[in-house]
Amino acid sequence: MDEEKKTERKRKRFAARLKSSKGITCTEVPGPNLVLCNGGQATGLEKSAIFSLIKENGISITLPKYIAEKGETYSFLVFNTKEDALLFYNTFNGKAKADNKGTPLYMNFVETVPNKDIICPHENPKGLLLLNDFITQEEEKAFIKLFDWNPECNNLKNRLVKHFGYEFRYGSNDVDLSSPLIEKIPEECDILWKRLEEKGFDVGVPDQLTVNKYSPGQGIPSHVDKHSPFGGTILSLSLGSDVVMDWKHHSGKYVPTLVQARSLLVMQDEARYDWQHGIQPRTWDPVIENRVENSTKIKVITSDTVPRETRISLTFRWTRSGPCECEYKTLCDSVEKVSADNLENEVASNLEELHVHQVYEQIAGHFSTTRHKPWPKVVEFMQGVPPGSVVMDLGCGNGKNILRRDDIVQIAGERSSGLLSECKEHIHGIGAADCVRLDLLHAMLRDNTADIVICIAVIHHFSSQARRLQAVSTIHRLLRKGGRALITVWAKDQTKSNYLLKSKQDQVNETQAETQITVGGVNLPVHENRTQFKHQDLLVPWKLRKVSENKLSNNPENTLLRYYHVFEEGELDELCKQANFTIENSFYEEGNWCVVCKKK
Amino acid sequence: MKLITHNMLTSKCLKGVMTGYPLAINATDVKVKEVDFNPEFITRVIPKLDWEVLWVAANSIGHGEGLPKTLEPKFEEDEDLLKRVHKVLLEVEVEEGNLTCPESGRQFPISKGIPNMLLTEAEVQ
Repeated sequence: MDEEKKTERKRKRFAARLKSSKGITCTEVPGPNLVLCNGGQATGLEKSAIFSLIKENGISITLPKYIAEKGETYSFLVFNTKEDALLFYNTFNGKAKADNKGTPLYMNFVETVPNKDIICPHENPKGLLLLNDFITQEEEKAFIKLFDWNPECNNLKNRLVKHFGYEFRYGSNDVDLSSPLIEKIPEECDILWKRLEEKGFDVGVPDQLTVNKYSPGQGIPSHVDKHSPFGGTILSLSLGSDVVMDWKHHSGKYVPTLVQARSLLVMQDEARYDWQHGIQPRTWDPVIENRVENSTKIKVITSDTVPRETRISLTFRWTRSGPCECEYKTLCDSVEKVSADNLENEVASNLEELHVHQVYEQIAGHFSTTRHKPWPKVVEFMQGVPPGSVVMDLGCGNGKNILRRDDIVQIAGERSSGLLSECKEHIHGIGAADCVRLDLLHAMLRDNTADIVICIAVIHHFSSQARRLQAVSTIHRLLRKGGRALITVWAKDQTKSNYLLKSKQDQVNETQAETQITVGGVNLPVHENRTQFKHQDLLVPWKLRKVSENKLSNNPENTLLRYYHVFEEGELDELCKQANFTIENSFYEEGNWCVVCKKK
Repeated sequence: MKLITHNMLTSKCLKGVMTGYPLAINATDVKVKEVDFNPEFITRVIPKLDWEVLWVAANSIGHGEGLPKTLEPKFEEDEDLLKRVHKVLLEVEVEEGNLTCPESGRQFPISKGIPNMLLTEAEVQ
């Protein structure tokens, strides 16, 4: 009896805590939904544990849907019926174990559960073919036995790799055709091309194989296999574990696809040449469901997850020489080389979509936790804004530069929806502040309405001279006569800032060729963080770390590349003058060029 | 989206659109959130507004009550009016709905209080 009272007391205390800290309303009226108060993603509770609980106890209910949110210590179960939920509750509340230590699991009924399902509005890339169950389980075992190896082999940033035919060179992303490896593609692989031919795909026989071994938690950054060194078909055989592969297109399309163990992935055409693909570094994947709604097939990325196992992938390529002959220009390394300043508008826009917009959407949460404080110079400027002014913060990010002032209008404009929702939260309670999702180049705001515009660390993300000028001209257009703007950009010269790390600088000088990625005919070097910039147009790695997860926080595979055009001294001033501004003040502050200018 | 913001939004960047102003509001969820009243601030902001656009917008979402269609001189002495303006400018928020371009009919969704004014490459001038 005492035990029962204790359970009841604990259960109610959890309900109160969920209400006050998470806004989750528990109810005493039984329904189909339960919240598990002290078991979730952060406590290591997994769906499989719940399912085996049900099976082992022999209670006859349909397995519920499990909803666990990242970083939370609670989770939800959605049963088919109220009766199933009640039976589960009566059997396990306060009795089932939440963890290895034997802590009892407490649960409450809830009216609503979060629906975090995302509908993917795009189709798979053209030219992407997923042949499921391409090999049998016995064949899979044989392949794993053939290719698995001990950890002392090549260790590429935690991912184990091995090459056959030719060695894949990671700096230049190609192979050296003049020095083939002694080890050719094992003949055990021959069944693959034969089977492909039987299915009507005559792709011939590849001559290069890269084997990757991914432990759960490891991934591969978004990339396109470099065009010119390899042919139009790339094959990838998956062993050991399912995984979700993300596909990104410069039009903004983002398509996650399930790649099953024992499947053969065939990449051709658009999928091969015009999309980037990658695998997120995490220990689990979302469950992707194909549903039919209103007689159209839709793809749903559910909030349900499955754990990853160790996965071995076999990537088969056909080597070739000479310039690439594909018809897709954005990611091709063989299009006529251009200087970044003269990029065609369309190419520049594609580059920014891939290496600015999509990156910010993905890093929004993490970015925001590292960008709490506004820069002192910006605060100083904003504090000096006269009462009654209309201020526009364009490219406001998470809104850190919006002041807690109730005597000015503050319009926060931002392109990234992730950052903007952080901003929306941040400005809560500031009476005359509001958020708008917009693009600086086509800011949907009226001419001559702003008294003040601030544009902090934004213009350096535009990838052509014409677009940078268009951005500054937009600021000019929005300001009233006599209105002022504060514009800051990242400086190429970092010697007077805290950005450089001495030890890192020395290290880099010793290393050889830098990695380059070609986008739209521009060779963009990948910058080594915390070192002096060697180029004006470059990609800066962002090492993504999970915010609320305690695991995997230092995984170096978590790298996303952000495009920057870093400014030379006087370059920003010149841009402002071209846009018809009068420069009031121009200065260098902590690695940034800053200009205060006025509309004549 | 607050009506102060709406007062400044335009769809002029759309291809073929001349002024694109004002955008029509179709609200499915409007909330009123209390904001401290600052009469000096409201007095300073009013001359910067397109008053008629504010009047139409406030009425279109059912919060136009007591707002005059035209603004009298010496409005700053009418505290009652300033309070009403304060309310429609800052306290009333369109949470869900959409904005419509008066010329092209293009709609811009408002979701979770944020209007999405992004265009596709093909839509811009």
